[in-house]
Amino acid sequence: MKKVKSTDGKRISSIKALIYNETTAGYLFALPFIIGFLGFTIVPILSSFYYSFTDYSLGNKASWIGLNNYITLMGDKRFWNSVYVTFKYVLTSVPLKLIFALFIAMIMTRKTRLTGFYRSLYYVPSLIGGSIAVTLVWKELFSRRGLINQLLGMAGIGRVSWFGNQKVALIPLILLTVWQFGSSMIIFAAGLKQIPTTYYEAAKIDGANRRKSFFKITLPCLSPVILYNLVMQTISAFMTFTQAFVITSGGPNDATNFYALYMYNNAFTYRKMGYASAMSWIMLVFISIITLLIFKSSKYWVFNESDKE
Amino acid sequence: MKLKRILVILLVAISVFSLAACKGKETEVADKKDNKPAETKVDDTADDKGKDSNEEAPEPVTLRMAWWGSQARHDKTIAVIEMYQEQNPHVTINYEFYDFDGYFQKLNTLVASDDCWDIMQMGGNFPAYLNKILPLNDYIADGTIDTTNTTEAFLKTTRYNGVQVGVSNGVNTYGVAYDPAMFAEAGIPEPQEGWTWDDYAEICKKFKDELDIYGSSKFDDFAAGCGSGISQFGLEYNFYALTNDDLGFDDYTFLIDYIQMRADLTAYGAYPDPGAIAEIKDIEGDFLVTGEAAMTWVASNQFIALSEAAGRELNLVPIPRRTKDGPAGSAIQSSQMFSISTDSENPVEAAKFLSFFWSDDEANKILANERGLSIFSNVVRALEPDLTPEQIKVNEFVNLIGSYETGEVNPISPEPSQEIQDYYKLIIEKVIYGEMDADQAAKDFYDFAKSKFQ
Repeated sequence: MKKVKSTDGKRISSIKALIYNETTAGYLFALPFIIGFLGFTIVPILSSFYYSFTDYSLGNKASWIGLNNYITLMGDKRFWNSVYVTFKYVLTSVPLKLIFALFIAMIMTRKTRLTGFYRSLYYVPSLIGGSIAVTLVWKELFSRRGLINQLLGMAGIGRVSWFGNQKVALIPLILLTVWQFGSSMIIFAAGLKQIPTTYYEAAKIDGANRRKSFFKITLPCLSPVILYNLVMQTISAFMTFTQAFVITSGGPNDATNFYALYMYNNAFTYRKMGYASAMSWIMLVFISIITLLIFKSSKYWVFNESDKE
Repeated sequence: MKLKRILVILLVAISVFSLAACKGKETEVADKKDNKPAETKVDDTADDKGKDSNEEAPEPVTLRMAWWGSQARHDKTIAVIEMYQEQNPHVTINYEFYDFDGYFQKLNTLVASDDCWDIMQMGGNFPAYLNKILPLNDYIADGTIDTTNTTEAFLKTTRYNGVQVGVSNGVNTYGVAYDPAMFAEAGIPEPQEGWTWDDYAEICKKFKDELDIYGSSKFDDFAAGCGSGISQFGLEYNFYALTNDDLGFDDYTFLIDYIQMRADLTAYGAYPDPGAIAEIKDIEGDFLVTGEAAMTWVASNQFIALSEAAGRELNLVPIPRRTKDGPAGSAIQSSQMFSISTDSENPVEAAKFLSFFWSDDEANKILANERGLSIFSNVVRALEPDLTPEQIKVNEFVNLIGSYETGEVNPISPEPSQEIQDYYKLIIEKVIYGEMDADQAAKDFYDFAKSKFQ
């Protein structure tokens, strides 16, 4: 945008050249995004980087304290607990979700008249999944007298205090995430359609059973899609906030105190903006490293047809 | 060709827009610079604005107001707002209400964006928001806020370093509410003034044995174990030092007993586990109301809402003590206040409304001391003729606590208070789940709280 303005002031011919330039139109159309990206993403990111080196607390002036926030974080037990809890959550919820999504997607590839209907039906949870309303429903379902406990009671297992037992408190939150498998499912379904049926026919003629053709054909051909889903779901799982915020507020005994929730509490409950900014930067670096590792590892397990040729 | 012409127009429009946007930002920054350093200056400009609107026909004014509380409070407050709007058609009050946690979460985001409500309810944690609170000294001096019917002592409860941060909405104190019918059913004698924590634990366990319910619903652990609990060791102790820059006691072992008792009661099933506690969102969901517990912690002013929600007869007893004849550890305090924010564009109108809210007889007949016993003598007189039995109970209770001897009490929570309270909750849970014993927990918590002041 700056460039546009500075040339604006020069000679008319250069203005014309600029306007008739093809890239101008492109930038122009991208402008709403660029403004939003600069204003709502880059500026906050950079200012949070600055604040992470200050003792900024809401309503007060910030003063420079160097690396102190980062040093304090290293000794903060609640911080390490939140890292541990978040990892536990990511490592269980992401694989479960992907497996479930793939499973449903495979069922959906069978051509029946109702496939489209079912597919939309299964997608619905993802549409409303992140919302407070569903989370509240979940809270009711797993409450002491909720539906789940009533079913367990009828099955003779007895009530479970889901959010009063630190060993099981994470389970309902993981289930809520897994339940929102719709968008991964759609992507898987699209990937499955890309696999030529001739592969399966050839395998069948060679005597491969279903299991074998799943592991030898479906998975390799689908691996780029799996990579994409894995990266996206991992990133979003690291940033999970709503479930814990609404259902458990981090309890009991910090067993569901996710990284993002602890960060939020530091920022908006304890008002320690500087500290929270430091946390967010650690998280950024963390997620970047993990994403990088996933990409690096992909060359060992992602099958790419172009490589073969 | 046409497309390109549109392109040019668009480009120009955008550059003009962005210039304007930049300029807008500059003036905003300049405004802030003017306002921030001297708070008195804000007052001056505010007064000028007020005079203007007085001389001319009143211009329509919109005020934003928010509070936390129970359904009873919401209903009553809204009724008074509507009453005021009827009498002052030029004023529109947009209100929002929350539960306690939600309120402060919202307020914190508003503080961050310099967009606080004009009128905001504030508790003992106000020092954290001092930059956002407009001093009311001038409004009280010039009579915009009518304080003729209250006393200096009451006004002092909401004054901080000479700044009148608000006017108390009423005074209250903590107590324990219980259901006498449940006590009769279980064959347990009702608690009496001077009962101890041991008595309390005993009663809780008995209820578990006899009726298989919780003896006690959620207690305000921090107020019970720290706020009052520490003072029960001696009148000279407070959890926070009177200067608000340190803790008011040196011996961490003061904290052990309450933590141990809470863990024991939870293990026994006589007190709700953390999951059950998380299900209590408001007074209406309290286990005493739902009949799952026989006692609960209550601020005296909320006793009325609690009784209404329960729909049964409830009684009120002072909180348990450490020893029968030891200090009670409770005192009368300002339950909360309304403050005007420095972000307000119409502080004078806000002050006028608040004056009405605090001291108008008719308005307070609706409010009915739900926020605490009014500090205005005219209101107390006006309410006298039609007090309900519950209200009489509360008044007598507050007077009883008021007759106790107390040391110098610190009603204010210093800035790190929220973090310290959260940590206290966590440490109790750690003992409940057997990660620490009560002694370690008390030590750990003491060190944590202490470190916040270094």
